Formats: sequence, C-alpha cells, structure tokens
Amino acid sequence: MSATALMKDPLNLIIAGVGGQGNVRMSLVIGEALVREGLLVTIGETYGASQRGGAVMSHVRISKEAECSPFISDGQADVILGMEPVETLRMLGQFGNPDVVTIVNTRPIYSIDVTGGDADYPSMDNLLEAIRQLSARTWPVNATAEAQGLGNPILANVILIGALVGCGALPLDEKSLEPVLRESFPDDFDANMTAFNRGIELVRQQG
Amino acid sequence: MTTKPKGYRELLDEVIDAGLCTLCGACVGACPYLVAYKGRIVLLDNCNLAEGQCYLYCPRTYVDMDAISQKTFGLPYTGDELGTMREVLMARSTDAGTRERAQYGGTVTTLLSVALAEGLVDAAVVSKDSEDRVPVPYVARSEEEVLDCAGSNYMACPVLEALNRVPRQSEERLALVATPCQCLAVAKMKLNSPENRVDIGNLKLTVGLFCTWALSPDGFHRFLRENLDLPQVLRFDIPPPPAERFDAYTASGRTSFPLKQVRQFVMSTCALCLDMTAEFADVSVGSVEGIEGWNTVVVRTEAGAEVMERARASGKLETAALPSENLAHLKEAALLKKVRALKQIAGRTGSRSDLLYLGLPAGVVDRLLA
Amino acid sequence: MANIDIDAPGTRQLFIGNEAIARGALEAGVGFAAAYPGTPSSEILDSLASVADRAGIYAQWSVNEKVALEAAAGASFAGIRAMASMKQNGVNVVSDFLVNLVMTGSGTGGLVLVGCDDPSAISSSNEQDTRPIAKWFDIPLLEPGSFQECKDMTKWLFDLSEELGTICMLRSVTRIAHARGVVKLGELPKAQRRAFFDQVHDARSVMPTRFMPVPSSLRHALAHVKLQNAREKFESSPFNWYVGPDRADLLIITGGSCWLYSLEAVRALGLEDRVGILKLGTLWPLPEKLVEGHLGRSQRVLVVEEIDPFLERSVMEVAAALPPDSPRPVFYGKRSGHINAYGELNPDAVGKATAAVLSLEYQTRDVEYGKKANELAGANVPQRMMTFCPGCAHRATFWAIKNALKLDGRQGIVTGDIGCYSMALGPAGFFQVRTMHCMGGGIGVANGLGKLAQFGFDQPVLAVCGDSTFFHAAIPALINGVYNEANFILVVLDNSATAMTGFQPHPGTGVTATGQETGAVSIEAICRALGVDVAVCDPFDLAGTTSTVLEMMADGGRARVVIMRRECELVRSHREKTKPYTVRVDPDICVGETCGCARLCTRVFRCPGLIWDEEAGKARIDEVICTGCGVCADICPQGAITKEAT
Repeated sequence: MSATALMKDPLNLIIAGVGGQGNVRMSLVIGEALVREGLLVTIGETYGASQRGGAVMSHVRISKEAECSPFISDGQADVILGMEPVETLRMLGQFGNPDVVTIVNTRPIYSIDVTGGDADYPSMDNLLEAIRQLSARTWPVNATAEAQGLGNPILANVILIGALVGCGALPLDEKSLEPVLRESFPDDFDANMTAFNRGIELVRQQG
Repeated sequence: MTTKPKGYRELLDEVIDAGLCTLCGACVGACPYLVAYKGRIVLLDNCNLAEGQCYLYCPRTYVDMDAISQKTFGLPYTGDELGTMREVLMARSTDAGTRERAQYGGTVTTLLSVALAEGLVDAAVVSKDSEDRVPVPYVARSEEEVLDCAGSNYMACPVLEALNRVPRQSEERLALVATPCQCLAVAKMKLNSPENRVDIGNLKLTVGLFCTWALSPDGFHRFLRENLDLPQVLRFDIPPPPAERFDAYTASGRTSFPLKQVRQFVMSTCALCLDMTAEFADVSVGSVEGIEGWNTVVVRTEAGAEVMERARASGKLETAALPSENLAHLKEAALLKKVRALKQIAGRTGSRSDLLYLGLPAGVVDRLLA
Repeated sequence: MANIDIDAPGTRQLFIGNEAIARGALEAGVGFAAAYPGTPSSEILDSLASVADRAGIYAQWSVNEKVALEAAAGASFAGIRAMASMKQNGVNVVSDFLVNLVMTGSGTGGLVLVGCDDPSAISSSNEQDTRPIAKWFDIPLLEPGSFQECKDMTKWLFDLSEELGTICMLRSVTRIAHARGVVKLGELPKAQRRAFFDQVHDARSVMPTRFMPVPSSLRHALAHVKLQNAREKFESSPFNWYVGPDRADLLIITGGSCWLYSLEAVRALGLEDRVGILKLGTLWPLPEKLVEGHLGRSQRVLVVEEIDPFLERSVMEVAAALPPDSPRPVFYGKRSGHINAYGELNPDAVGKATAAVLSLEYQTRDVEYGKKANELAGANVPQRMMTFCPGCAHRATFWAIKNALKLDGRQGIVTGDIGCYSMALGPAGFFQVRTMHCMGGGIGVANGLGKLAQFGFDQPVLAVCGDSTFFHAAIPALINGVYNEANFILVVLDNSATAMTGFQPHPGTGVTATGQETGAVSIEAICRALGVDVAVCDPFDLAGTTSTVLEMMADGGRARVVIMRRECELVRSHREKTKPYTVRVDPDICVGETCGCARLCTRVFRCPGLIWDEEAGKARIDEVICTGCGVCADICPQGAITKEAT
C-alpha cells in the first residue's frame, strides 16, 4: 500500500486502552511509519494521571496536506484499534459512525469500579455483539493470549500493530513498519517482528 | 424476635453505640472489619453485607433463652437462681503452688490442666495478662501456659476473639474459659453453627466464671497506670464483703483502693445482665464466701461432669460439700442480680414485654419481678 | 522520546509540542535550562537534559520552580540564553520573583518562561489560565497554535527577550504540549557564548548594570516602554494571520490550541467562504491596530480560547476604544455563554458555538447511528477510575494509615499534597485524605491544626507528602512546626521518584537531570538536624507500619516524622523486569462475598491485580496486571492468598 492510497483525508485512527498498556508508544510507532511515507500526522494523547489505570486514547490524524487538530470530533473515527474491549466500545459510543472499522483485543482489564463491585463488566459476547453492531467491519484478536504464547504479554501491542497493518485500513505495509520496529526495539527486534507478523496473520485469517 | 436481616450496622446502632457491649469478643476476630483494641470494638472498614454473624452471636442482640436452654440441656429455661445444674460443690487444687498462683482454689487451672493432660482437648482459649496488664485473649497449649494465664484482673477481655481466629480447617479440640456473657454468645454459636471460621463442634469444654460485673479496660487501665507501678504488680484481688477493697499485690506488699472508687469503671452494660454463675457453661467456677482458698463449682453438663471426675481421679483436684449457708447466700446473690437487671431493663424500655435483647418466657419474668 | 538535537535542517520530524519547544530553544542557542517536573511541561526539560551533554548546554531539575526561574535568570544576567519551564501551578510559585524580574530586567542573555496549562485539570489539582499574569506583570506573551509554532515562537522569543532586556513568556496547553505533529527543523547554532556578569557602568543606560527593582516608578515606566516596543513588533508578526473572506458573516478570533479546532470546525460546517478566522499568536500586549483592522470584517465576532476570557476581554477593550462612529460588532464567546468559561475545548465545541451564532445545525454524526451508539455503549461501558498502580507502596501506606486512625479512635485527620498519592482522596487510598491544595500545602495546614489544643482540639493530625514534594516545599513548614511546637506527624512517602510526572530525579535520588551521580540528600538527616524524631518504615510491612503510626499518634505533643520508604513499583519493575512473588488465590479457601470476608480484597483494597470472578464467586489474580508484590497475601482474612518467592 503506498502513500497515495489514503482512503479518506484526513484519515482518523483512534488507539484506545487502559493507562499503562502502552498506547502512546504504539501511536508513536505508527505515526513514525506514516511520516516516513510522506504524510502529515498529528497525534493527540492523554498523558499523566490517566496513566494510573484510567481510560486513555490516542487520536491519530493522517493527511496528505492539511495540518489537523489533535482531536477527532464526535462520530469522526475511521479506524479504531482497541487494546481493551470496554474501551473499544467506549470509543465507538463517542466517535463511531456507520463506516468505522474496528480491531479489538479481546482480553478484558477490569477497572476498580468493576472489581470493587460498583459496576458490572459486560459479558464478552455482549461486548463483541455491540462492537459489531456499531462497526462496518470488526476483527476481534486475542492479542494478549497470542503474546503470552510467544512468551511475553507485552508483545500484544506489536501484534495489534500488525493487525492494524494487516486489515488494510491504513496506507502502511510490512515494509513501512520494519525499519521503525527495528529502531524502536533494537534489543528484541526478532521477537517484535514475529509478533508483528502474527498480528497480520490473525487479521488476514478472518478474511 | 426479628425476621429482618441484621448485620454490622445494626450491631453498631443497637449494641455498641447504645452502650450494651460487654466486650465479650464474639463479633471480632472473624472478619477484617471488626476488631477489638484497647477496650473498644473498632470498625476498620465498611462490610457490605446486610446480614452478619457479628450480629447473630452477640449476647446483647436478641436471645431466645428457652431455645438456648433446650439446645444446651434439653430443658426449658426456668429462671432458677443458679440455672440448670447437676451438682454444686466446693473444690480446690491439691497443689499449693497452683493455689498460690491462681485465684481462690485454682480449680479452673486444674480442670484445664487435666483436660490437656488427659487428651480431652488440645488447646485452651483463655485470657492472659499482657505485659502492661491489659488482659488479652490467648490460646494455651500446655499446662505451663495454662498456669501462666491463671489469675484475674477483673477487666473485660474479648476472649472470643481468639476462638473466632481458630482457622476453619483446624481439627484442634478446644476448651474455653468464659464469663457469663461469653458463654451466652457461645451458646448462640452452638445453636447456629458459624460459617467460614472455627468449627464450633471442636469446642469440647466451656468453663464458666462467676461474674457480678467487669471493669472497662479502657478507663480502668488508665486508672491503674496512673496509680500503680504496673510492671511490679503480681496479682489483683477483690476480697469478699465486708472488705470493700480492690487489692493490688507486689513483691513488697499490698496497695488497696476503695471499691467505691473502682466501681466507677464498671461497664454500664453489666447492670443489664441476669447471669451471675455462667449458666450455659459445662461447669462454672467462682469463689466461696468466707472460705479462703476454695472454689464454688456448679456442674451442669455431661462434659462438665466428666472433666470433674477425671480431675478428682487424677488426684489433682479435691472436692468437698458446699455448706448450706454458702449455697443459700449464693442463690440469694444470684437471684438479686437477676431481679436488679430485669428491673433496669424494664425501667429502660418502660415495659416488661420489651426486655431489649432478652427473650424470656413470660412466666419467668412475672415470677422474678413479683 | 524523539532526538531533539538532530542536525538535519529542513527535514520533518514528529515531535510533541514540548519537544518542539525544546528544539526551538536549542535552535535559539539556549545554554541553560531549569525546571521542576509538572504535567504538561515536564518533557521540555526531559528532552533538553537527554541531549545536554552532547549539545554543550546545561539542564537542571531544580528543587522547585522558584529556584528554577531564579537560576535561569542568573544565567541570563551573565549573558547566557536561559529558559525555565513549568506547569500552571509553577507560575504561581515563581510569581514574586517574576514580578520583580520584570522590574529589574533580564539582562543580555535572553530569558524565556514557558508555562504549560492543563485545561480540565486532566493531570492537575486545579484548572488555571496563566495568560492573565502577562497582563498583570507586563510580560510579552506568545501562544503557539501548531507544533511548528512551538519551535518557531520559542526561538523568536529569545531574540525578543535579549533585545528588550525583559523576560518573555510562552504559554502552551496539554493538547499542544503532549500532542505530536510534524515540525520542519531549522539550523542548530555552532557555538555557545561565554558567560560573564558585566558590572561595568554602562554610560548609555540610566542605571548601572545591576538587577534591582528600585526606584520602582522608574522601573515600572521602563517596563511599559519595553512592552510598547513589543507591541510594535507584534503588529507585523508572522505569528498572526487571517484566513477567510474579506467580509465574513462571522469573524472567529482565536489562538493557541483553538486555532486548529476552529479551522476544523469551519471545515466540517463547510463555511470557509462565510466564516473568517483571525489567528493570534502574540497575545500580550495585544497588537491593537491589527485587531482593530480585522474587527471591521464582520458584524459578529466569536472569540474562542482556553480557559478564561482573556483574549475576549482584551479584544473588547480594543472595541470599546473604537471611534464612536465605527461599526461595533456583537461579541460572542464566554461572556455570552457560547463557549464554556471552564474546561478544555475541542472542534465540536467550536462547531456548536459557530452554528449557534449563525443559527445553523451542527451535526457531525449520523443521527440514527448516534442513537444506537448511545444505547449500546451506555449500557455496556462501565467507568474506569484512576487508581494506584499494582504494587504501589502508597496503597499499602494508606491501608496502614487507615487502620491506625480507626484503632486510635480519635477521628484523626490526614492533610494531603500533590503527587500520585493525591489519589488517596478516593477509593484508591481508601478515602483517607481530607484536604488538598498545592505543593507543601498539607504540612502547612497541619501546622494550623497542630496548634489548636488550647481550643479543645484532640484529633491526631497526619500530613502526607512525597519525597520530591518534601524538597520542593515541605521543609520550611516542618521548621515552622518545630519552632512553633505544632503537634502533627509528617508522613513522607519516599518512593525515590517524582513519579506522577515521569520519574524525574530529585535531590534524594542522588542523580541529576543529565544522569550524573551526585550526593543524595537524606530526608532523615534533615529532619534529625531539626531535632525531630524520625521513624523509617517499609509500607509493605503492614503490621509494623500500622503500629509505628499508632504509637506516634498516642505519643503526641510535637512535630514528628515517619518516612514510608519503598521504591516506586514502575521504577523497580522497569529496572528488574521480574516479579518478587507469584501470587495466587486458593479458590477452596476464598470465601468471597460471604460473612468473614465480604470481598475485602476486590471491594475495599482494590488493587487492579485482584479481579472478581462473578461466576465462581471468588477473587482471582490477573497475572498480566499483578506485579507480584505480595501485599494482598497479608490482608486476606482467610489466608486464601498465597505468595511464593520467584
């Protein structure tokens, strides 16, 4: 996929998860890859206190020519990369629209509201059903389990980057990501590359 | 009588904040929320259960005395002065050293020793003097430890906390030394077996203590600290009337306080207690008025009778008949406590049919208040 | 973190706003940078420190913002370009030095103050707009509307400051500071200047080259002259521009983060030919002729800014002074209620306001989909509250404090301060903290409560503060407590980090901003030198810590200190990459919701590593989240949680 094949301009990607999961690092990797394709990228982040277990999101704006604000407006997300199921649905609730495509890591992280008994965590079936109803296409990926299989749960993030690239919604392919992964993970590039490829596979398997 | 589920909130409202708590310890040690500390029941966090065992076993929440009596003895609750009993007698340890170390005749210490030695129980839950003389609950597992716990300092001790802390998987058979309110709480536990804590079926022997009142550890301990060099004190004693004294013995002698001065630290809840002789124990033990160095013993159940028999047979305990005037005085004192308490309670509620926590057969109430 | 000192002029790099500011400083030839960590400003000094050695500059984490600015001013006095960066609260802390510095002048180096505000207080105790201080103190103020401007404005401000001899301010907000965008790089300077504090009397100037605010009227007048010079330059600044039709149905006047929001909102509404946007980058002093000139474009003016109506009021002052026969536009903004006078904005907020002013509909989303989304998400999306990280020592500390206060029984009070431990206001720290204000505020308040015995006060007072907070602000208040014999216990939560802002070093860690080892300043040595009783506890020893605090409370009468010492879990796990224990819940022993537990670990203790299995009715460890600290094993009332050393 080349730089000219931007499906919409600006293209709006949201990476959503739980503070501490690593969404900032992921958005940086993806952003860097996009910039090297010659695109203009703006990424809005929630930092700081939200890291302590709160809900976090990165808004990635991708354009050939226009500089965008770091905020995606309500109902304007084109792609949602959800690192956690409830956070994925939360994003769809605010930023989704009939054309949005969604990748969701199916491993729950329970907030203390839930574990403390103040709120219920919906069943995975209900969550996935809701996500499917609100998305034009949905790719559920059990990235954490796959990462544990590869030896380290933190590899889930790179698996999800692979899934994102594999679903074709972004003007990126394996070639665009490899040099960025090499620079970002100099010490365990091989493990990360394996995880990345696994992510691509998991999405392409679903057709 | 109540069908509404009740738990820690009601325990706090109806008992602890209402001044009825006897510090028996039945509500503490079994969960992370209620603990006993320096003479107070403390709530560390809010439990979220509507219904709790803390409320259920408290001897100052509703007690169906008849049901308790039926469960313990297979007999109705009659309101007799000394409660249900098989035998009343005098007893004392045959070992002078034990008698010296213990209170009066050292019978409680001896019964526990025998029970441990003869394998009737594996451990005894008792109260023990801590270094600063505040009594704390303790689990004794040898005769030496039992002897070490002998003696009284007349302050309330939440002994049942130690009972509650016995893990539910434990198979140790237990003895317990308890005041009348504690015996009542235990009787409630036997009526409705506790969950997620000690297996109450492992409690094989309850030795009850005669009790007129107990002193608040919170206030009385401060008094002691201010007026005595506590680490020097060997033991305490309240001699029988007409002495009207509270004695503290050190190696060098005795310091006494007028009993009147000490009475201000009596827990107010004791005025609402009907039970002087621990009516729901297996065997109850107290002093003998006018006869130093002996205990009055009331044997109530099979378990009580067995341990007394073994103690006699082992030669560690000698017994004698209780003189009839002593028995008469004892009954008088016990009856007086019942009547005073009932009058206090009825006075507080304004009605004989609302006796706060007591569920008594109507006939019993009328007879006692006649 | 990006490399801000890449020597590749003309190339494009992806920087966050803070990195772009740092790059701008480098391109301007900055030599001295000082700061105290504060979200959203921390990355400015973080990135300068990471390149300091090879760039030949000096970067310092100062003990607090006041010292940071004073130190930077010192460098500027000696001819070195200097910068101090801070969050909004830091601007409050430096205010006394700042107002005097405006009067003394900043010397020949060039001095820039960067203040980063946090609209909606996403990571702050309060929400505050620092721009008005520029008007209040007579400081030239710029605000970047893009990542490129973050760099370009910072660079230009050094030149302005050097020329005028006065401190200049750059104000940014979270959504620029922490957002990432493309920046075209400029050239890096080749050499640094030589530092020299010139004491020779300069015959040209009225006063000798010394920095003092007296005589005050003369100094004040001189400050106004400098401001007027700045205003003249702002009238033709490339940081101000207009996009849109010559005559517009609506003129939006905006600046900062709201520039891009306004641009997007107008685009989304398709009103590029009806709505014009005057984007201002030079905010104080306001280029009045420029603004006057644009006011004539429309009958309606909507002012969009974060957080206070600062620009709005300044523009309205200009409008008020227009000649009587000039057409006066109607103003919309915070005064009219079209824009919130609190909280952060976004393109939707601007779109709604614009549509309302023009009586149009604003709908960025398919209505049917919107309804469906609200329904499905509304039912299925539980809240996600912030909390202490799994393995955090603060959780254990506040557990021990909670128990100690309950056992003590005298309704003791905990006064709070600023840091991760501020979360002890809520369930994370068992609702223990009762007051919270600013750095050092907790022990300050405790000084007051600790002197009320004569009024019958008998409640124990515990003041909590972090290790970094101790050095920032707590020491004078502790001395006050000793000198005035106040009865409180200072609980120093020493996790060897300035954690909330990104693990920056501080005097207690023994490492500087540039990674050099230095003598670590000992908190207990300082306390002992004051004659204060100090105890040191490991918060993971719950029983020991509880009884130490209990004993201290019982033994009242004077100021005492207990240090809760255990390293921040994020720092430890990053370094050691292992878990100390494998923690397990035995489902056969766990009694869950029933009497004897009532879900203590998940409902009350609330470590994210403990989850509740609804079906089984048991607690469980989430092995991905759990860091293996093992503290929960000590609180389980049934002994169902086990920990095995790894």
